[in-house]
Amino acid sequence: MTLAELARPAQDYSYAFLDEFAKREVRRRILKAIAIPGHQVPYASRELPIARGWGTGGLQVTLSIAGPHDIVKVIDQGADDSVNAVNLRRFIARMTGVATTSDAQLATIIQSRHRITEERLREGQVLVLQVPDPEPLRAVEPNISLAREMHADADYALMWLGLYEQVVRFGTFMTGASYPVVVHQRYLMSPSPIPRWDTPMLHQAAHLTLLSAGREKRLYAVPPYTDVRPIEFEDVFFQVENQQGRICEQSGAVNKFMNEIPQPDGSMCYQASDTGYVEKLVRRARGEPVAIGATYYDDDGTFYHPGYLKEQEPDHR
Amino acid sequence: MTSLAFDLPRLLTTAPLLRARRLTKHYGAIPAVAGVDLDVYPGEVLGIVGESGSGKSTILRLLNLEEAPDTGDYTLTIDGYRGRNLFTLDRYDRRALRVRHIGIVYQNPLHGLRMHITSSGNVAERLIMAGERRFATLRNAARDALDASEFPLARMDDIPRRLSGGMQQRVQLAKAIALQPMVLLLDEPTTGLDVSVQALVLDTLKRIQRELHVATIIVSHDLGVIRTLADRVLVMRHGRVVEHGLTDQVLDDPQDAYTQQLVAAKL
Amino acid sequence: MYVAAKGGERAIQQAEQLFRELNGTFDATFVRLIERHMPYLIDRVMGEGSLYAPELAALALAQTGGDLYEAVLLLRAYRSTQPRLAYAEPLDEAHTFTVRRISAAFKDIPGGQYLGPTLDYSHRLLHLDVLDGRDSAPASPDGATGDPIDKTGAADLPFDPHPPALTDWHRRYGLLAPLPDLPPHDPASVPDVTRDPIHFPAPRAHRLQSLARADTGGVLALGYASMRGYGMIHPTVNEVRLGYADVRLRHPVSGALFSAGRVRVCQGEVVTPAGSGSDAHPSTNGAAPPAALNPGFTATIGWNEVKVIAGAMLDLEMEAANAHPAHREEFVLYHTEAVEASGFCIHFKLPHYVTFNSSLDAIRRAYAAVQQAEPQ
Repeated sequence: MTLAELARPAQDYSYAFLDEFAKREVRRRILKAIAIPGHQVPYASRELPIARGWGTGGLQVTLSIAGPHDIVKVIDQGADDSVNAVNLRRFIARMTGVATTSDAQLATIIQSRHRITEERLREGQVLVLQVPDPEPLRAVEPNISLAREMHADADYALMWLGLYEQVVRFGTFMTGASYPVVVHQRYLMSPSPIPRWDTPMLHQAAHLTLLSAGREKRLYAVPPYTDVRPIEFEDVFFQVENQQGRICEQSGAVNKFMNEIPQPDGSMCYQASDTGYVEKLVRRARGEPVAIGATYYDDDGTFYHPGYLKEQEPDHR
Repeated sequence: MTSLAFDLPRLLTTAPLLRARRLTKHYGAIPAVAGVDLDVYPGEVLGIVGESGSGKSTILRLLNLEEAPDTGDYTLTIDGYRGRNLFTLDRYDRRALRVRHIGIVYQNPLHGLRMHITSSGNVAERLIMAGERRFATLRNAARDALDASEFPLARMDDIPRRLSGGMQQRVQLAKAIALQPMVLLLDEPTTGLDVSVQALVLDTLKRIQRELHVATIIVSHDLGVIRTLADRVLVMRHGRVVEHGLTDQVLDDPQDAYTQQLVAAKL
Repeated sequence: MYVAAKGGERAIQQAEQLFRELNGTFDATFVRLIERHMPYLIDRVMGEGSLYAPELAALALAQTGGDLYEAVLLLRAYRSTQPRLAYAEPLDEAHTFTVRRISAAFKDIPGGQYLGPTLDYSHRLLHLDVLDGRDSAPASPDGATGDPIDKTGAADLPFDPHPPALTDWHRRYGLLAPLPDLPPHDPASVPDVTRDPIHFPAPRAHRLQSLARADTGGVLALGYASMRGYGMIHPTVNEVRLGYADVRLRHPVSGALFSAGRVRVCQGEVVTPAGSGSDAHPSTNGAAPPAALNPGFTATIGWNEVKVIAGAMLDLEMEAANAHPAHREEFVLYHTEAVEASGFCIHFKLPHYVTFNSSLDAIRRAYAAVQQAEPQ
């Protein structure tokens, strides 16, 4: 018997790449995160064969919860075909043997960077959001030890001071994506850099959302049917991106989150950012049988939880 | 050590609002405050004088719960806090008490203000910390407090960095009084200002103190400031109180040798 | 079009293929050549990759065309898949074969100074004659020709490959605080920065582990800022040591200690007079008089002198009471993490059009608000 025969082959990797101890740790942290909605749970965060900052946090969660019978959808900026999404999807499939899909209805796990699907997710589905910076207080307190104290005390006054300043200086809130939210009336949370259009989708959602930052080694969760409220004033309201009057040139969709594509002639062309949804609309238009789920926003732009989004009267200064 | 038997201020026969006993604080081996007792009555102004290093600013930091003393008791006769040694409050309660009931103006506006936030925002922060979430309320309260501090309202949305020293102190004052505190702490509030500006700010301080009837402690090395504002005065040296009494009495007829020197140097 | 509607997968494959074709193919022989002839490069990849595997480090370098950050990432990612089989015994002087040991603190030190293998005193001249076909010759005293080193000659002084730590001498004279009198550590109980997230203030083990695997350039940049004058400390290099350490394991059945192999290690140690700028060392425990010197320390696998000297200075600097913001523990350890820093840097190449779009919307809202606020 030779040493080579005794040793395992050099190209042999564990199921889902991470060793079992690493996966077990992530799963335990996920349980803790679900138990304390919106609270950032530190975890060891192993290095993966993907560069840090490219979705290694989301990837560790997906790899830790995926089994051979799962169906995984991966999107980046809403697109299934973005090179980064393709790369992550290939890796997940290669290491776990899961089936993949671009259909949000069929997926059991949806890993995403910067978007939530337009179709409503349902009970039993897991949305895994990649997070570059888990700390919503970073802009007001870069020191994480102090930021942790502020979370412990629910001391979030500086966030509202920031809102005050924005309204005074600009007449409106100026935060773009990553709009901070308060989860279950307790923890301030970064929803990851999803656009404001997607922020309400986390509120009282049927699905479980797991958010994970690999580089910063923090994960957190929004359990199903949990309150998620963007920070706002009682008399100046959070506003989603204006999609009025925009029509998707590929699918004819309206009142969905649109990519703006500047044209050489100076005009702007719009494409719905959720490519899985666009694909289904196109197939339906061609007469193929295709199941399209209810969307968070209807074609009039009305959000499915009545009263959650409020119209804003003009200037407040 | 100071005796506990203060002279009762004129016209005041009620219990003190603020009571501190055996305040002691060392920095390394150096005693900054060594066993100081003090009382402040509702609506009264207590002055603390002494040269730099005498421990007078340390006392304000202790009373503002910014720093923990080595030893000492500190009570305020305020609902919810009566009978509790405030030095034993946890971080959360400490913050709530400071936001609601204690206002402070520092000599250096960098300590009291956020230099990159509008002046009105600096004032509004206090209400936000107290839980106010209506923009219109924040706006109006900031305007009212700045107005009461005689701050030019046309500049309420300028950042403090662009303001003169006197205006910065008015913003600090507005922030301090925005929630009508029970205690107002003034740490050399006019030091570093031009003499003419100093007089105007002192006028404002005096008027506000009377209108709000707020128990006030003013720390200054400037006997003129103390004489203008304080009903009673403590004279401090090397962390101890060397003399105390009614302001006129102490400044006009100092008993302690050090106070005599201080007064002589000033006059 | 890197978000092409349907071409994502093909684009990825072709991009990688182009990279491979530009950089040529390689085989096991080439990997062995790198391993044999680029030891300091290998050391750096292993150190920052925190995995002692010269062959894999060489493979990583070959595979990435020498892109250091990519190579380190490959090694770290591979490391994630490896189970922990055993904990080695702590290294000590007695089980480390020292080949280079220098101190700036004294003219000579107990156990002696050995220059060992170094380019420190070489003339930094390109050996252009190699390009003309000559072999690269060993160095000689006059720099050009001359006799090659007599490899068999006896040393002037007896050579002790296990010299005692210079800090032992300091401790004997009370210059350094005594080592804590603890029972031998269970290695499995040492906090492990690859298994636990770091919190601040960090356990000493986390700090030393983080420095050991930190980006050499990052440690140098922050350390240099301290040396150049932003620091609170004025340290002296007490000892820099390079050597080969036995990785000693205990046999799971018999309990006997055995060496599983030798690894290249190095350590740097600096000292600064206590109270010189930093008075933060709360090292006085009761009866013992306060120590006169404070130590700073960094060790890493592989030989990397720049890293251990700069790291040791940062270790000391992080203790200073009012350290410059760039020398505080959280700042130093977070921002010298090679894989995290480089990964986040290159992530900015990823599309961000959804977030950009969202910001544009906020800007448009602000314009609209201004227009509404204008007098009618």
